[in-house]
Amino acid sequence: MKIKSALLLIIVFLTQTIVYAQDNVLITGKVNDSDELPLPGVNILIKGTNKGTQSDFEGNFSIETIKGDILIFSYIGLETQEISIQNQNTLEVTMSPNTDSLNEIIVVGYGTQKKTAITGAVVSVSTEDIVKQPALTALQSIQGKVAGVNIIANDAPGATPTVIVRGLGTAQAGREPFYVVDGQPTQDIRSINPSDIESIEFLKGASYANIYGIRAANGVILVTTKKGKKGKAIFSFDSFYGIRNVLNQVEMANADQYIQYFNEESAAVDGFQLQQNQQFNTDWYDELIQLGNINSNNFSVSGGGETIDYFFSYNLYQEEGILKDNEYSRGTIRNNNTYHLFENKFRITQNINITYTNEAPKPFGSFNNAYRQSPLVPVFYSNGRFGQSFVNQSTGIVTFESEDGESVGRLTPHGNPVSDVLFQDIDINTTTLQGQIATETDITNDLTFTARFGATQFYSKRNEYNPIRERWLNADPRRTIAEFEAGRVDEDGDGTISTEFANNSLNVQDVEFFRWNLEGFLTFNKSFNKHSLSTTVGLSREKFGGRELVEAQGFDVFEEKRLRNLSRRTSSFFDNTVVQQFNQSTNLQSYFARVEYDFADKYFLRGVWRRDGTSDFVTGENFFDNFPAFSLGWNISNENFLKESTFINHLKVFGGWGRLGNANVPFNVQQIDTDPDSGNQNYVFGPTQSLIFGASFGSPVEPLQWEITEEWELGLDFAFLNRKLSGTVAYYDRTNTNAIINVQNILNSESEGNFLAHAAEVSNTGIEVLINWQDNLGKDLTYNIGVNFSTNKNRVENVVPGFDGETGGSLNNGQITKRLQEGQPLFAWWLLEADGVWQNQDEIDNNPSVGNAAPGHLRYVDQNADGVIDDRDKKFFGNYVPTFNYGIKIGIQYKQLDFSVDGFGVGGNEIYNGLASTRLGGENITEETFNSRWTGEGSTNAAPGADRDALASSYWLENGDFFRINNITLGYTFNKIGFLNKARFYVTAQNPFMFTNYSGFTPELNQNGNPAQTTGIELSAYPTTRSFIFGVNLQL
Amino acid sequence: MKAKLKLIVFALLFVAFFTGCDDFVEEVEVVAPTAEESGEVFEPIQFVTGVYGRHTDFAYAFSFLGITEMISDNADKGSAPTDTGADKNLLDGLTHTTSSPSIRAMWTQWYKTIGRATQAIEYTETFEMTNEELRERLIGECKFLRALNYFWLVRSFGDIPLQHIDIINRAPTSDVYAYIEQDLLEAIPALPFKSEYAASDLGRVTKGAAQSLLAKVYLYQKKWQESADMANTVITSGEYDLEPDYAKVWRVSGENGLESVFELQGRGEIVAHGIQQYSTTQGARGPSGWGWGFNTPSEDLLNAFNVEGDDIRRDATIIFAGETLFDGRVIDAGVENPRYNEKAYSSANAGQGDGDKNIRIIRFAEVLLIRAEALNELNLSSDALTNLNRVRNRVNLENITTTNQSELRQIIWNERRLELAMEHDRWFDLLRTGQAPAVMIAHGKPFETGKHELFPIPNDQLIQTPKMMQNPGW
Repeated sequence: MKIKSALLLIIVFLTQTIVYAQDNVLITGKVNDSDELPLPGVNILIKGTNKGTQSDFEGNFSIETIKGDILIFSYIGLETQEISIQNQNTLEVTMSPNTDSLNEIIVVGYGTQKKTAITGAVVSVSTEDIVKQPALTALQSIQGKVAGVNIIANDAPGATPTVIVRGLGTAQAGREPFYVVDGQPTQDIRSINPSDIESIEFLKGASYANIYGIRAANGVILVTTKKGKKGKAIFSFDSFYGIRNVLNQVEMANADQYIQYFNEESAAVDGFQLQQNQQFNTDWYDELIQLGNINSNNFSVSGGGETIDYFFSYNLYQEEGILKDNEYSRGTIRNNNTYHLFENKFRITQNINITYTNEAPKPFGSFNNAYRQSPLVPVFYSNGRFGQSFVNQSTGIVTFESEDGESVGRLTPHGNPVSDVLFQDIDINTTTLQGQIATETDITNDLTFTARFGATQFYSKRNEYNPIRERWLNADPRRTIAEFEAGRVDEDGDGTISTEFANNSLNVQDVEFFRWNLEGFLTFNKSFNKHSLSTTVGLSREKFGGRELVEAQGFDVFEEKRLRNLSRRTSSFFDNTVVQQFNQSTNLQSYFARVEYDFADKYFLRGVWRRDGTSDFVTGENFFDNFPAFSLGWNISNENFLKESTFINHLKVFGGWGRLGNANVPFNVQQIDTDPDSGNQNYVFGPTQSLIFGASFGSPVEPLQWEITEEWELGLDFAFLNRKLSGTVAYYDRTNTNAIINVQNILNSESEGNFLAHAAEVSNTGIEVLINWQDNLGKDLTYNIGVNFSTNKNRVENVVPGFDGETGGSLNNGQITKRLQEGQPLFAWWLLEADGVWQNQDEIDNNPSVGNAAPGHLRYVDQNADGVIDDRDKKFFGNYVPTFNYGIKIGIQYKQLDFSVDGFGVGGNEIYNGLASTRLGGENITEETFNSRWTGEGSTNAAPGADRDALASSYWLENGDFFRINNITLGYTFNKIGFLNKARFYVTAQNPFMFTNYSGFTPELNQNGNPAQTTGIELSAYPTTRSFIFGVNLQL
Repeated sequence: MKAKLKLIVFALLFVAFFTGCDDFVEEVEVVAPTAEESGEVFEPIQFVTGVYGRHTDFAYAFSFLGITEMISDNADKGSAPTDTGADKNLLDGLTHTTSSPSIRAMWTQWYKTIGRATQAIEYTETFEMTNEELRERLIGECKFLRALNYFWLVRSFGDIPLQHIDIINRAPTSDVYAYIEQDLLEAIPALPFKSEYAASDLGRVTKGAAQSLLAKVYLYQKKWQESADMANTVITSGEYDLEPDYAKVWRVSGENGLESVFELQGRGEIVAHGIQQYSTTQGARGPSGWGWGFNTPSEDLLNAFNVEGDDIRRDATIIFAGETLFDGRVIDAGVENPRYNEKAYSSANAGQGDGDKNIRIIRFAEVLLIRAEALNELNLSSDALTNLNRVRNRVNLENITTTNQSELRQIIWNERRLELAMEHDRWFDLLRTGQAPAVMIAHGKPFETGKHELFPIPNDQLIQTPKMMQNPGW
């Protein structure tokens, strides 16, 4: 059926072109740049067709046209021109630098579109914006630059930022946007070197994203890498080096403050007292944190001849984090070639990208331990062992030494943060091979066929060496090697020894996966009179998700790194273990069709249809679903009444609707519960009371399908005052219509366990505003100011009655902080409301209180006034996802000097200070906590005393607003010095300042991004860092 | 020439793409996610067994005692003064709260059983089986069990959510009773008589059990005529009679006996599977004891027996400290409590986890008393007396002769107390008959009218479903 209709379409196209045969005119001409120098490699295209050519080395070109044709001259970075062919045979064209972004060509998935014709929220970010902020991934560089795209940075070496497009729309399904690099779906965006990127397009709106069907619900990010341009070879060398440290260091209490706090707390609970004078005063963060550094070197060569365009690049990015030996390095090699054959009617594009990384992770839990470990504990004892939190409880001296009859305990259950980092010895090496071959065939002047085949192979090898003996000895300075050796003797003769007494262990893990994609599509472009039509039909097939993991572990291997080998061990007390896992891959088959039509560049109409089928779902034999979309646009400025306006240069309204899917949903398996023993599925029947085995349904299994998101959007593009002021305003309303939630085992429900069901809607609405002002003051000074602002309102709606109520945000101390509830944002904070401090026992006795309340503890509001404080008194306190984001960028160019400042801010969110909240007795506190504490009746009603409870409450919830200067850059460019074409030197300060009231290390607390977990809670977060970078860009 | 070449290239590529089509996604074999497709075949009867099995939960061995007996005037918490049994001291003192774990346990237990019954019915209805009669019977068994659990719920909590409709909004009591009646009326024709079951099916729900429960459900709704008639159906069925020796009803030899209409089954031999520690929690505590000593018959109950001169039932109901039991077990005089519940006693039990004791849920004597009470309310006192005296005569008590309706009503209520003592009905009888305020206050417990008629909806439920309403006064 589908085949037939596709063939029919082709026939229609073919006959169309045959009728169209008229007088041909050969046009020859030359293209120059504004400096009157010949410009090679300019694309020259007959409007509404695929027929075109390129200018040669001397800027010359020739092309067959028909009278009345319009020729389009385009070149990246230069203003596109349209020239109508009347009676002329020769043309002299001068291309000037592009000051008008509206003529940009935007990649929209299976094709491109002129920016003026776009009728949805598509944002394009170009290479300049990306390379200006040096980072591992391009996305980190553009934080705060795209309205509606919330990028949450993570400054740990090798980390990827989290990208949330138009709000968080799912509780259980995948949250990642879909990345497509040059048409090839890509798993890990870290494999792409930012310097290789020509542009990034964010398909925010559903009417554009839906061309990617069931993977588009979290937004689509299209990356286009650089290609060679016709002309002589250009050699570029870009390099930078930078140092980084913690931006927002928290001051911890010193030894004296700690002792006082400890003793106050201890007195309240009848514990022992610490002596005033102790031997050590350790600042754990000073001991733990070092100056990190980053460094990148990038070489590229690009150019093009008559038939081949080429681009080669090599990049080595290296980073050492603020923890010692926490390293990440990445090398990428890219080669993009395009071959123009048969007079450029057949083109082959070949992209190859090889990425290899080397990573030495370190435990971020050490940030947590450094926060909590007592300053009285030394880094090292005098015997060379690492300090631990031993304290002589009889003398009140922090030491492991004791006399007879004295007892030694611990101040905290935490280890030594410095040793945590030292003893972790992990090495991860990955290799990613990505390649794609694409062909474009111009079947007629109007019809092009594109075929692509791409494949990715990924390998990862992880080695973890665990020095068990060193760890054992350092856990307690009194332990001796002899004791350890004694543990290695098989005393009971059962042939086994606890691996606790292995000298070490080595864990080796190999992961491998392969994915491929194959697609073909026909593009038909035609203009006649004022009508312009573009049609695309195609199909694609993909296999991905298959993954194999092999993991082996052995004990007592050689200590030397080069001898670490599971088959060469120092003893054979312990057995090696091997684990293998295999994940079934997913097959995906898709069909798509798109029609774009405009009349006189005024009225735009666009319809998209995608049909996707995946092998992931079994229920109902229905593997397939349809994803339609449409959008409309009206370019008001092209109407006669505005055409002559000098104030309004461009004004377009657009609106659209689209349906998107998310197939990355959890797999639901039903468990039938049986028991071979006395389980409550079994019962007794018969005169001899025989035990009869029965069964019960565990969690019900609801048929799970993809989540379907639908979105409406409305927008406005404008440019006023000679295009000095331009921008976009858009409103969106998107709803995940069948969100999967983890339905709780409610006391009176039918099910005996939690289960997953499509039982809710998640809606996101917001406004996005982007405004840009650019102007020049005199001849030498140009400047621009860009501002973007976006809002997001997230709500869980239409939950099946009783199906909400999943709690989350566990603090790992029995306290939870979040709950999924209808009418609230996804996993909103759900906490007791703190309301001052108990001043005396009398207050506690006469008011509702939690058990064990004591003066100095926080008091909580009895919301339901039932006289007891319990979970029913918990209240919702918003969400960790900002309700608004904003960015600002200012750029000034004066002669050869460039200066820019970028800033980024978020607001309307609440974050939870888990570090402070989960404190146990004996742990350190911040200086601020020490200074503000309650010290007795009447001292303060704002902060609890040294003795307090550890319940999760609104007291620990803080405003997550922050504004950060992301980047200040000052550069100077030399033109034509010596053999160099161009040389630019710059200094950059990354994240030099942050304005926030948050009392922890970083308000950007994404963790693993799972809203049900510790996202938004600071526990072991990597601090935001500040960097100072010096760099150079050379071109010859 | 070139044009041809291009077209060939194009055609080849195009054909390559159009082959296979939708089949591609079906190449991958996906593991069947539902139980029905798991490859293992489960028979409906297994899930029906699972519904019965839910009644062997520990809740019946402990929480159940708290909210049915200890709370009433028949029993005290017992055990050591320091051992609260989680919240049994509060229930005994009528100071239980919305967070009492016993109430929460039974609420959950009953609803989860209802859930299992519903699931088993659905599974049985759609399962391919040749024996239609068996299918009907299995569904009937589940419907009885569902009705029984709803009955326990509705008399404890009043308006409650009907699980198949909505788990948040509380349906009026009348709707719940209507649903219970519907289940029972549908179960009755599908279920066989006790005598019709194969021996190996002993312990399953019978037609008589469904009819007896329905008679009781009518009684609770004061549908006197229906109650009397339904009880009569059971009485005249010829399936049941009174056990001549009252005490034998609770012995091993009396399990599923002549008088038994429905009981929960337990097995003490390895593999043991009982109603967990039902005997142990109520066993004597202290020297020579074997149990935790909870749920002890109150002095008030003892006095009630003595006033009536009802020695047979007194001695079958109460183990006295220092007594030698029928099986020769000597109860040390130094045990911690003066009295223990003999109806929970099992000779085989020495404190194991799973005991052999069956819990009697409905027995024939109660059916007679239901009919007696219903007839008396219908002003058919003389007919009522026949049934009442049949129960009394078995334990050598003289006939009642009064035909004064209100006098007889009191006598029947008292008869229920003595006959059914420690059988998990007293508290609800007190509430149903309106005696509770007077009796409990006389008993020295702070009964609050307008509050204690119903248990509170457990706090944990309201945390999960905040829109559910709490009961009045709580």
